[in-house]
Amino acid sequence: MSATLTPSASSARSSAVTARHLARATATRQRRSARFKLWAGALCTALVALPVALASLLPLPDPDAQNLAGRRVPPLTDGHLFGTDQLGRDLLSRILHGGQVSLTVGILAVVVSGLIGIAAGSAAGYFGGWIDTVVSRLLEAQMALPLLMMLLLVVALFGPSVTVITCVIAIAQWPEVARLTRSLVLVEREKPYVAAARLLGMRSWSVLGRHVIPNVLRPASLVVLLLLAQAVLLESALSFLGAGPQRPFATWGRIISDGQDYITTSWWLVTLPGLVIALLVVGVNLMGDGLRDRIRTTKTTKPAKGA
Amino acid sequence: MTKYLARRLGQSLLTVFLTISTVFVLVRLAPGDPAAAYAPPSATTADLERIRAQFGLDKPLVTQYGIFLRDLLNGDLGTSYSFHDSALSVVLDRMPYTITLSLAAIAVTVAVAVPLGVWMARHADTSRELGANVLTITGQSMPDFWTGVMLLTVFAVLLPVLPASGFTSWSGLVLPTVTIAILQLALVSRLVRREMTTALASPYITVARSRGVSERALTWRYALANSSVPLVTAVGTRFAALLNGVVLVEVVFGWPGVGSLVVRALETRDYPLIQATVLVTATLAILVQLLVDLAYPLLDPRVRLGKAA
Repeated sequence: MSATLTPSASSARSSAVTARHLARATATRQRRSARFKLWAGALCTALVALPVALASLLPLPDPDAQNLAGRRVPPLTDGHLFGTDQLGRDLLSRILHGGQVSLTVGILAVVVSGLIGIAAGSAAGYFGGWIDTVVSRLLEAQMALPLLMMLLLVVALFGPSVTVITCVIAIAQWPEVARLTRSLVLVEREKPYVAAARLLGMRSWSVLGRHVIPNVLRPASLVVLLLLAQAVLLESALSFLGAGPQRPFATWGRIISDGQDYITTSWWLVTLPGLVIALLVVGVNLMGDGLRDRIRTTKTTKPAKGA
Repeated sequence: MTKYLARRLGQSLLTVFLTISTVFVLVRLAPGDPAAAYAPPSATTADLERIRAQFGLDKPLVTQYGIFLRDLLNGDLGTSYSFHDSALSVVLDRMPYTITLSLAAIAVTVAVAVPLGVWMARHADTSRELGANVLTITGQSMPDFWTGVMLLTVFAVLLPVLPASGFTSWSGLVLPTVTIAILQLALVSRLVRREMTTALASPYITVARSRGVSERALTWRYALANSSVPLVTAVGTRFAALLNGVVLVEVVFGWPGVGSLVVRALETRDYPLIQATVLVTATLAILVQLLVDLAYPLLDPRVRLGKAA
């Protein structure tokens, strides 16, 4: 009935559709695209992560075995799927073994930054007062600074060990977790069950640890995948600048910066490791995005249970 | 307003002060001796002592810090060990290049991301939008130094249409700018899309539409204008992150800015130069943040500074 009144603009939502139709159509389409992102993301991630995890089981040459006779062999020759580098080392093997270091650093960094972020963010949100002031000021200050310079500084000064780099990336990332946790806790602490727990005589530390934090953990964990993607990129950036772990294997950024000198003659030395990083990070980002979309659509379409 | 400004300036100064102090301590805590880096290989222990004394590194840490703060108040950040010139002026000489690159990158990002985000909002949840979304995520997921090297190889080596490095002409700006913009595109376009979807669904749009306002005006004049505040905030807060990307891209393209300077200063343990670079970039990033905050009332008359929580 109102269809006759709608302006001719075709791209605008037609008001002939009832609100129920609209919600269902949008929701299904949203869910479809979220599912696509999740599956495509999982596929891309698995394509990189599985071979990396199984690197030592695969029939690959040793990543450090040099063969000066077979230097810079193009991909798909002599059993070298990705070719060889300037010292005749198998590129695929180097990428996969280096990836183990990159991924370990990334995952550890996310765990550490998650722990710091959740602790600081929930304390700030729950207790408020001076704790909140200090944490919030720190967050603001850190977000305002160009961090890569500081990270480079720390790594350049303290040596590029896996521990230092993990800590450095964790320090770069904790604000994001802390901010999210703080805002979630601010909402959560006003809920009746918190008041009930307090009335029952629980101390505030145990209310926070036993009741509030478990309830914000799930929504807070949504950022984990996005943080992992950032951590992998950050690690590769550091190692590109020569501030990456050297042992046990050179990581992705380092492989790229080593190959840079030969880019005009041996394209694969830079292109392939970069593609591997991009594929992994695209996969992780897509999964993170899909997960976020899915939570958001279920939140808007289903009436929230309980709270 | 004046009170608000004073408080914000005070906070900013505190942040800069804490940053520079942290850097001061970190640099000196770390192993490595700048004297050894600047002495000839044949230098004796006495020579090293002399160089250390010349750099003022023989004094206790607290004394060094006191001298540093005193000089800082006089606008003196020390003499660069490797450039034999005032560290501040070395950094400030490089600054215009970094600022040019950052501004160009922001301009290109916004020029592409805003129309893209608007388009995505108008085609929300279609497969075309999903495609655009996946493309921007891909851009965000490529390591920027790698994108830089690849662009460089294709457009400067294989098809020599653009200069490879440095700042010889304005065309040298193209590749570094594009490299940074590719990375930033996803974040800004996603933000525009989200804000626009909310705005386009709000009642005032329905009212305006019912009064016969054209779809074009609805999109650009009504919805986008109301989405501009979060957009400006996001671009402002991304500025510090943008400078990170600039460091890498400067190194890849041999851009004569602050980023490549700091990498060199770190390699040579040039303490005054490291401190000056951090001080200047931190000040710049914080200044941008402050300007963004001050711009709110201009964009949205409902905002009153100082009353916000």
